Amino acid sequence: MTLVAERRRETAPRPHHPLRAEVVRGFGPWAGAAVLLTVVVALGADAGQWQGGWAETRERLHMVAGMLGVPLALAAGCWHGGRERRRRTGELLASAARGRLARLLVSGLPLVLWVIAGYAVAALLAWLATWYRAMGDSPYVIAPLTDAAVLASAVLAGQVVGRLVAWRLAAPLLAAGAYAGIGMLTYDSGDNSYAPLSPVVDGMTDSVPVWWQPLAMTVWAGGLAGAAVVAYAARRRAVALLPLAAAIAAGTLLVRTGDGLWHTDPIARRQVCDTSTTPQICVNARFERLLPQVKDALSGLTGRLEGVRNLPVRFEDRPGGPARDEVELPMLTPIGWSVVRGELADPREYAWAAGMSLYGRSECDDPAPSLDAVDNAVEHYLAPSPLEKDFDEQLAERGEADRARLKDRLDARARLRAMSEQERRAWLSAYFATANECDLSEVPTL
Amino acid sequence: MTDHRRLDARSAPALDGPLLYARSRTVPRALAALLTTAALAVWAADGLDAYVDPQRRVPVVALAPLFAAAVIGTSLHTASDELDRTAVRPWWRRRLVHLLALTALTAALLSVAVLGHASVFGPPAMIRNTLGGTGLTAAAAALLGARLSWLPAFGYVSAVYLGSAGAHGRSSPVWAWPVRPGGGTGAWTAAALVFAAGAALYVVRGARVEGPRA
Repeated sequence: MTLVAERRRETAPRPHHPLRAEVVRGFGPWAGAAVLLTVVVALGADAGQWQGGWAETRERLHMVAGMLGVPLALAAGCWHGGRERRRRTGELLASAARGRLARLLVSGLPLVLWVIAGYAVAALLAWLATWYRAMGDSPYVIAPLTDAAVLASAVLAGQVVGRLVAWRLAAPLLAAGAYAGIGMLTYDSGDNSYAPLSPVVDGMTDSVPVWWQPLAMTVWAGGLAGAAVVAYAARRRAVALLPLAAAIAAGTLLVRTGDGLWHTDPIARRQVCDTSTTPQICVNARFERLLPQVKDALSGLTGRLEGVRNLPVRFEDRPGGPARDEVELPMLTPIGWSVVRGELADPREYAWAAGMSLYGRSECDDPAPSLDAVDNAVEHYLAPSPLEKDFDEQLAERGEADRARLKDRLDARARLRAMSEQERRAWLSAYFATANECDLSEVPTL
Repeated sequence: MTDHRRLDARSAPALDGPLLYARSRTVPRALAALLTTAALAVWAADGLDAYVDPQRRVPVVALAPLFAAAVIGTSLHTASDELDRTAVRPWWRRRLVHLLALTALTAALLSVAVLGHASVFGPPAMIRNTLGGTGLTAAAAALLGARLSWLPAFGYVSAVYLGSAGAHGRSSPVWAWPVRPGGGTGAWTAAALVFAAGAALYVVRGARVEGPRA
């Protein structure tokens, strides 16, 4: 008998830790799946606008986590917080040996784990999608970590609200309120000095925060949630003043620093150049791997400009305006327009835009009509617009004046084409010397 | 027996079936929440200056019906499920009237918020979103339980609201119905189908029984 009992004791499975049941069962997995689905749908719906750019991916993830994840985490926490009330097990738990704080954390932390896991999987999927089409740069890890800390704080704060408020609509109301609150804090167009307190900072692809901003944001959000948890559940409630003081200090620091929280990303300040062409072609270091594509797209244009003088030295692509002797490369950002998923959407149109940036009389009050034909001939020769044929047809269908204008344009194009190589190079050199002149007499005729 | 009935009639106001049903589903509280939602929507839409840009109405047109749908969804909860199942009469008529009446009232109340200057995000968009949102919560009430019925609708609508900015695909009116302008056929069809499916599911099956472990 003794032998049998001993053997049984040896083979009996070890009882699981109580936390295990909290982690693998109940609402946690559902909340994690809801966060994952929400973030994936929101990201997937406009993948063309972030896929391929690491900074764009970071911004999109950050925005979705703040605008959707935080309200959802608050609501999930609030729903979960009302569990004991719905099960009517509050009194039973109150008789447990563990204190209130331990009981709150045992039910709250598994939910935190699932919500963060849902966000982490969504972030990994977004990173994979961008890595597959990456144009340069590298992943940004700190921002998703900060977002995860903010999400965890939201779950815990929601948990406390759920314990306190016995109302079926508390959770959706909390979510809607948080959504509206964060939206107003972030996008209020007035003098909004409290914007740095928002977990969302929108549209900063060329900028990165100072090193301590993620820390301050974590302390701000975590301090508020910690204060709520301690005030609700700890034996000595006055201790809640500590996390509250930390949150207020971090919040004050964020608000006082304001715009100083952000500075231009060092990698966005650099550019990568191909010096074998005329003009040279530079793209921002964030899109380093796009340089061969841009060079290919502009190869027709740069080939025709070989040996021509008075041209800008290079197409530049840095934040801010071009320096002297430089012109701006047609915009690569915001991605989703000329660049989609790591590829130039329309190389012909891109080349046309690059050609147009070499000469411009946009500042002229009233450029002479005959300049129109000359400029158009150059445009046609270097890199015609994909819509050129349509424009010509429109002119031909309109009144007498437009038909005459079209005829001038066609004549000028034919004259430029008829020149010998050398003659054309000399003429283009003279033309580019006056590319921004408004005075007809300065511009060489065709 | 007759004495008992007389006694009851004297001691409490006589409540017939529909009123008792409404009370058991906390419909009065849901009505109060819907009225508050509509008032808030009117206040929010008023401050948007939508004549500058009709797109400014999108937050109100997407979020107010969403919250109203959450109110309707949670009102489908019954605290006396086992007792209800012993009833002789079929429940589907009451469920249908309950859902349709609250949806119609919400659509009418919320449309007031976006009346006024002709705008692409006017009453039609509000009515469509009320239908779609209520359809989602009704389906969730049947599948998940009424008290948590707001969760899938919140996830879906808010994800579409953020993600639809860059959606230009041919299928986008169908899945992005909560943020489309009012007149589009695709968005209307999608929302109407969601409502029909959700309402049918709820009316036939009722809200999912929520055990003590919910």
